Amino acid sequence: MTNTDDILTVSGLNVAYGESKALFDIAMDVRACQVVACVGRNGAGKSTLLKSIAGFLKPTSGTIISDGASLVGMSAFAVAGKGIKYIPQDKKVFSDLTVQENLELGSYASQDYDWAPVFDYFPKLKILIDRKAGHLSGGERQMLMIGRAILGGPKLLLVDEPTEGLAPSIVMHLRDVFKELAKKTALVVVEQNLPLVCAIADKVYALKEGRIMAELTGRASITPEACEQYL
Amino acid sequence: MISMQLLTSGVIFGLSLGSIFFLMTIGLSLCFGLMRIISLDQLLYYSVGAYITFSVSALLGNIWLGVLAGAIVAGASALVVERIVFRRIYDRDLPFTMITSFGVLIGGVGVIKYFWGLVPRPVGEPIVARVDILGTDIPVYRLVIVAIAALVYIGIWLFLNRTIIGKAIRAGTEDVEHVEGLGINVYRLFTITFVIAGALSGVAGGLYAPLIMVDPNMGLDVLAFVFMVVIIGGLGSIKGTLISSFLVGQVVSIGSLVYAPLAQMAPFAIMLLILLIKPTGLFGSQMLKR
Amino acid sequence: MAAMSFVRWWWGLLLAFALVALVRVFLPLPFANEIIIFSIYTMGCNYLLGRIGLISFGQPAYLAVGAYAAAFYLFYFGNNPYVGILIGIAAGFLVSLAIGPLFVRLRGDYFALVNLALSVIIFYLMQKVLAGITHGDNGLWFLTNLASTPVLDLSRPDQFFIFGFLVAFVIWAFFKYLDDSIFGACCLATKLNEDKVKFLGYSSFNIRLTAFVIANTTTALAGAMYAVYLGFVSPEITSPARAADPVVVTILGGVGTLYGPLVGSIVYTGMKDVLSKVFGNWELVIGFVLVFIMLAGEKGIWGSLQPLLEKMVLRVTGKTAERGGSGQ
Repeated sequence: MTNTDDILTVSGLNVAYGESKALFDIAMDVRACQVVACVGRNGAGKSTLLKSIAGFLKPTSGTIISDGASLVGMSAFAVAGKGIKYIPQDKKVFSDLTVQENLELGSYASQDYDWAPVFDYFPKLKILIDRKAGHLSGGERQMLMIGRAILGGPKLLLVDEPTEGLAPSIVMHLRDVFKELAKKTALVVVEQNLPLVCAIADKVYALKEGRIMAELTGRASITPEACEQYL
Repeated sequence: MISMQLLTSGVIFGLSLGSIFFLMTIGLSLCFGLMRIISLDQLLYYSVGAYITFSVSALLGNIWLGVLAGAIVAGASALVVERIVFRRIYDRDLPFTMITSFGVLIGGVGVIKYFWGLVPRPVGEPIVARVDILGTDIPVYRLVIVAIAALVYIGIWLFLNRTIIGKAIRAGTEDVEHVEGLGINVYRLFTITFVIAGALSGVAGGLYAPLIMVDPNMGLDVLAFVFMVVIIGGLGSIKGTLISSFLVGQVVSIGSLVYAPLAQMAPFAIMLLILLIKPTGLFGSQMLKR
Repeated sequence: MAAMSFVRWWWGLLLAFALVALVRVFLPLPFANEIIIFSIYTMGCNYLLGRIGLISFGQPAYLAVGAYAAAFYLFYFGNNPYVGILIGIAAGFLVSLAIGPLFVRLRGDYFALVNLALSVIIFYLMQKVLAGITHGDNGLWFLTNLASTPVLDLSRPDQFFIFGFLVAFVIWAFFKYLDDSIFGACCLATKLNEDKVKFLGYSSFNIRLTAFVIANTTTALAGAMYAVYLGFVSPEITSPARAADPVVVTILGGVGTLYGPLVGSIVYTGMKDVLSKVFGNWELVIGFVLVFIMLAGEKGIWGSLQPLLEKMVLRVTGKTAERGGSGQ
């Protein structure tokens, strides 16, 4: 069932690392401006899922469709070019380059040189603009990664554990940022922070050992306890 | 005791030798930093540059045109090899790409032999003028080589720090996947880097050709030295190769004044020493994985 | 049952060497001798690359160490070829033991380049620096010096072949034994995942060092054999142009396989012989062949044949397959 509103439809996705299978028959769909969360314990396959969608891993079988086109087999930069941006969990930015240069690369890739929205979400980046990215704190790096990724107005952001290791104040800030972003961009967020997930998600997929255990929709049913159940 | 004259010429010779090393090793450093390959075939583009310089200068009577042509043909060869061979194997591990690049180098030597034969050929020096520095007679050509290397260094610096492609390459040496994730076509970056490396190697060969004879094995002959320079400086660091190129250049040059045979071995000794203290060279990065 | 596995362990070796003996029957003696020595030479490189994952472009260095050690003895001191060979082996052992601890610490890429540098240095040493004792490019000639030895007269090529054949057989049995031993498993494990090996309590440094010494001593043995066989040693064996030989043969035969070096040497020497008569440009061919093999899957000749043959044997005998790797 293809809905013209669908930003992303995944079905029957199987991914393996060599001989070792990581994802089994994953099915998932994301609508425009929807916030979808993937929760699960370490090693459940959440990052693997995002990487496969982003084009960094080749699935062994299954389909990934966005706007009528299949993403499987596309190189990662081509997927990004289609407006699907991946933000990895390693909080890595280009340390030797300044914040400005990091953003310049994002602009170069997306051809979007309007940084106003980025500074709207993250005013701190404007202050840090000339600082070498290697000297940023974890939270500042996460902000830079997200800021870089929203250049070009992506239709889907794949965010991998954004709040991991961050101070609560920053986590709150990010929560508000995601809520704002969701007005224009669909989000798939992988998180272990269940309260955060439940505050922003429209839909939650619970992953366990490479399989989707449950799909929770509707504000009412998305609670930390409900998620825990399936993990 | 070495006289002042001898020392001066030794230093200048060392600078010009270091310049040649440097031109070759920038490319090697970049290729390693960005693509994580050890491109032994750069020695082939060095030879190609030298041979084209020989042929073009013999034809047209002008060495500089020869060097230019050498750089272009070397770059073009690099492009062809990158497209046909390396494109398919970037994801393979290092020994694999090393052996493959070695195969390209050997095969390329064969191609050179096919077109130019076995006999070593001389290439005329473009500038026979000499200038007096500190009481010593120094060939101007050697100084020109140093000047060209300096210009190249500035050019590369500007490229890497002031152009967006250069910044993308620098970012790529840190993490290629992140660059790709932004939406930048990293394969195009690879090609650009590889071709630049090839062209620079060609320039090195072309410039060096008048000082030595061109022969099919010239690439293999300097292979070890070039890589000793790279190891001492540390794989992936341009600053490192700059320093080690000139260090090795001086050691070989001034060492030859003291005791010629040992001078060739000195870089090896230095390399072992440095590796004892820093197993990745002076400025080499610790990480190997992307 | 013990008898069965004894036979099974040995029968591959016996078959392989029976085939090599056949080669001797059909092909000229110099060719056969060359193959024997060359394959021992390649075995070192094959082992390092296939089992430890270390690529060495510098095997000619150890070849030269063994060859020149034997040559010095035979030129200056004595004339017993057996002693010469033993000295070559000892030299190889000592040099690799001395250098090993530094080299083996290095990352794979540095290791390869450093070994290459070593072979160039040895080349210079023998060609220029020590030309006083090595006679530089003229080389050391001692063919007439070689004494006739009892049992097998090594100064005679046909008897040398028998000697070489026996030595090769012992070497192969040794490496097969290594493969099957715990040490062999450690080597392979280190290649695949060094960290895990360390977690298990093994020292990957010691594993690598041991393998390094074994491989290079083997190479030195080949060098000493060359010296005795040719009665002459010159720096040419370690010239930069020859650095490719062991790597090419290793890949050609099939890296990591037990019989790869044998197959590789036969094909390589044969090709070289045939092609250099027809087509003077040897490098062209070997370069393209190497690139082709790498792009086509890097399995090499024996590396591709071996699984096919194993399947055939399975079907014929109906037995369950042995653990792969050392196969036939």
